[in-house]
Amino acid sequence: MKLKNVLKSAGVLGAVGLGSLASQAMADQEFLLTITRPNQLHVIDMSSNTIARTCDIPGPFGTGSIALSPDNTHAYVLSNGTKDVYGFDIRNCDITFKAEQSSPTEQVISMQSIAVSADGKELYTVQNPIKKLSDRFEVEQPRLAVFNIKDGMDAKVVRTFPVDRRITKIAVTDENEVILGGADLKGINPKTGEVRMVSKLASWEKGPLWLPPDAFAMHSQGEQMHEYIMPYVTAKFDSEDWNFETAEWWWGISRVDLKTGKATRDEVLPFQFIIFNFVADPRNPDILYGSFNTLSKHDISKKETLIVHDMPHTYYDLNISGDGKTLYVGGTSSDISIHDSDTLEKIGSIQLTGDMSTSDLRVATIRN
Amino acid sequence: MAPTNKSTRRTLIGSGVLLLAGLASASVQADDAKQIIRDRCLACHTESGDASAPNFSRISEQRKTPEGWLFTINRMINLRGLQISDDEKREVVRYLADTQGLAPSEAAPFRYLLEQDTNLVEEGVDQALAETCARCHSAARFGLQRRTTEEWQLLVNFHMGQFPTTEFHSLARDRKWYEIAHDEVAVQLGEQYPLLTPAWDNWKQAVKSDLDGRWRVTGFVPGKGEYDAWMTTSKADGGRYNLSLEGQYADGSPLSGSGKATVYTGYEWRASITIDGVKMRQVMAADAKGMSMNGRMFLASEREIGGVMSALKDTKAPAVVAVMPSYLRKGESTALTIIGQNLDGDIDLGPGVKVEKVLERSDDRIHLMARATGDEGTQSVQVGAAELASGLAVYGELARVEVTPQNAVARIGGMSKMPKVRVAYRAVGYSAGADGKPGTEDDLRLGYMPAEWSIKPADEMAAEEKDAEFAGTIDAAGIFTPGDDGPNPKRKMMANNVGRLAVVASVKDAGEAVEGDGSLLVSVPDFVRRVLD
Repeated sequence: MKLKNVLKSAGVLGAVGLGSLASQAMADQEFLLTITRPNQLHVIDMSSNTIARTCDIPGPFGTGSIALSPDNTHAYVLSNGTKDVYGFDIRNCDITFKAEQSSPTEQVISMQSIAVSADGKELYTVQNPIKKLSDRFEVEQPRLAVFNIKDGMDAKVVRTFPVDRRITKIAVTDENEVILGGADLKGINPKTGEVRMVSKLASWEKGPLWLPPDAFAMHSQGEQMHEYIMPYVTAKFDSEDWNFETAEWWWGISRVDLKTGKATRDEVLPFQFIIFNFVADPRNPDILYGSFNTLSKHDISKKETLIVHDMPHTYYDLNISGDGKTLYVGGTSSDISIHDSDTLEKIGSIQLTGDMSTSDLRVATIRN
Repeated sequence: MAPTNKSTRRTLIGSGVLLLAGLASASVQADDAKQIIRDRCLACHTESGDASAPNFSRISEQRKTPEGWLFTINRMINLRGLQISDDEKREVVRYLADTQGLAPSEAAPFRYLLEQDTNLVEEGVDQALAETCARCHSAARFGLQRRTTEEWQLLVNFHMGQFPTTEFHSLARDRKWYEIAHDEVAVQLGEQYPLLTPAWDNWKQAVKSDLDGRWRVTGFVPGKGEYDAWMTTSKADGGRYNLSLEGQYADGSPLSGSGKATVYTGYEWRASITIDGVKMRQVMAADAKGMSMNGRMFLASEREIGGVMSALKDTKAPAVVAVMPSYLRKGESTALTIIGQNLDGDIDLGPGVKVEKVLERSDDRIHLMARATGDEGTQSVQVGAAELASGLAVYGELARVEVTPQNAVARIGGMSKMPKVRVAYRAVGYSAGADGKPGTEDDLRLGYMPAEWSIKPADEMAAEEKDAEFAGTIDAAGIFTPGDDGPNPKRKMMANNVGRLAVVASVKDAGEAVEGDGSLLVSVPDFVRRVLD
């Protein structure tokens, strides 16, 4: 692909989008955010399904992980192999924040983990540090790192607290507890470092007939429901012989209400096909949509799959409009597929300038 | 890829030590290699202990194959900015493989990886090692290394630093992966594959044999067939060998080549040879007395395409090394070729096998017509004083055909930078044995047989996806070539030309076709090229 030309045209499109936005009377407006290779943050106007602007992210691609400020005007992204964090004003692509987490003697990556405090003043990452000695690595304890957002372009860590290994997506509750998505779902108080169990997964006590859950949140995009979803796969065996052929296989979710910090965990659907991400319908929390090789609709109150729609290629993630009517299915490749949430029929598409690969698909709602 | 064997030879190096390579003794070379390590590696590694027997941190706590050391140095170049010339690299690989290598018995279970013959499913891998290491690597990859426990633990740390997603993979994120790998599995590896072993102590002290001389060679080249040849090896400068290979394929066409070899660790034969314009590599292990070598020869550009190779040194003693073909159907006059050296005297193909006519005879090759009337079974083949036990299988009826490799991976390519990875197949015939039932333990292995090759979908789902239509083709010689890489708009979900196939060999036996099949996965390109997978 001739990347330069594509980028140029995206730039032109971005400028046009900005002009039209400025001239509009401002109302609540939804923007879809995602990142494409080589490293661009796209701000997509969900009222017209066009790219409003494209912001160049410094450095090489990270994983496309995006966190929003509480007012949704700023997006924080992992870049440079997830070592660096950049903050953008999504209204004009201004870079407002930068934190380099690694140093010559310590390699620090964040595996998707990035979130902003409830008051918008602090930025949190989970750091996985490795000390780089001259002829060996030393593995250090992961830690929650706290940055002051007002420190701007040379932000340094102001506090750290030890956390578990293997944490991916994190989220912040209204009470400013940081939900840590790891082998178990835990919450940490970013002022004191106090950790509590939010939802047991690896250490659940379901007995010897249940396979320990394989829980993994590469994405968790519950902004329309203000919730955090950690999907998992488990199996119920018919005996302690653990016959995988005859086991009942289940999708489960641990679900944290980010308003209250309260969690539920349940096996919600028989495992019939791979779903990489779930998003809930803001009109009915029992209705979930899932994406991967298919787009699917489920009623978890009945543990039923309602509709399965074949997709032309793999889509890692999805999100939904605030009115619950429109699904945006993305990730993996360079197009976002738009679907009617009632029928799952495709109703549109947005072509991007590069592959989204593992990137988030987030909705920023800028309120008037 | 085996260590490169360019024809350049070390004369001057940056350390300022001037050597005439031809005069360098082994100990001078070792001193030289130690100096290269000091000059090139001590920016990061540290030296301790006696200068004559120094300990280099992270280096002295490991033993590896020549490929293992080459791999390590390549990584130091690519990941850590090591600057080292090709000549220096070759010197250091040789020194480390010689002084910190694997004993023959330690490398023996995993020779397939050194031979780059990776189309096989490893069996009997310990569950902890399988889940922690062999979920990404071959079990041979770590089975061909010896380290102290601390060094195995540092290897875990290397993974955490270099590949931080390791602990987030499937089969890692559902457990305390780092703690298990570092505190349990590395300790287990330190016990199972320790730095210090009696086998290595013994091998270090053993007298190593020179591998120069004349060798009677047999083998197989995909697309060309079985061959027999003479390989002549002569010692060159710096412990290397020049070699030439002259012989013929089973169809009578000639085979001719020359090249260079290096012997590592006293027994690891690595040669680069150009045969009739095609660059190939030999990976063989010599026996303790340096009398025979066994291994594999493969295309330098495509290590998957190769075949077995064995060499027996000519000591002027008579020897039979092979019979081609290795089977004889009862009651049928069949042409056979006995391959050997210094062959003299009466030919005896075993009880009930009659030599009908000797068509052509020399002291290394006898072409004859034979007919079997006796019982089924393997016969010893004798020519004068030379005997090859189980050299000929006499059978009544072909009952079963086995496709080898049984399980293989081909990789699409050709449109991107990644080349296609092909698979070379052979068919092995069996008779049913005494119980008359094929597939049981007493089946009689007859040997490699010519076959007609075809592919079909592996199962219903592969048929539905039209895998056999898209994933590739197999030629008359049994070489499977996968399809082009990249999304294919003609396929469901624009899938690449991947697929799951059964590769079918159909062997004719007295007019009846007997079929066997193997499982072939046509997969996506592997974008990482490793010295050892």
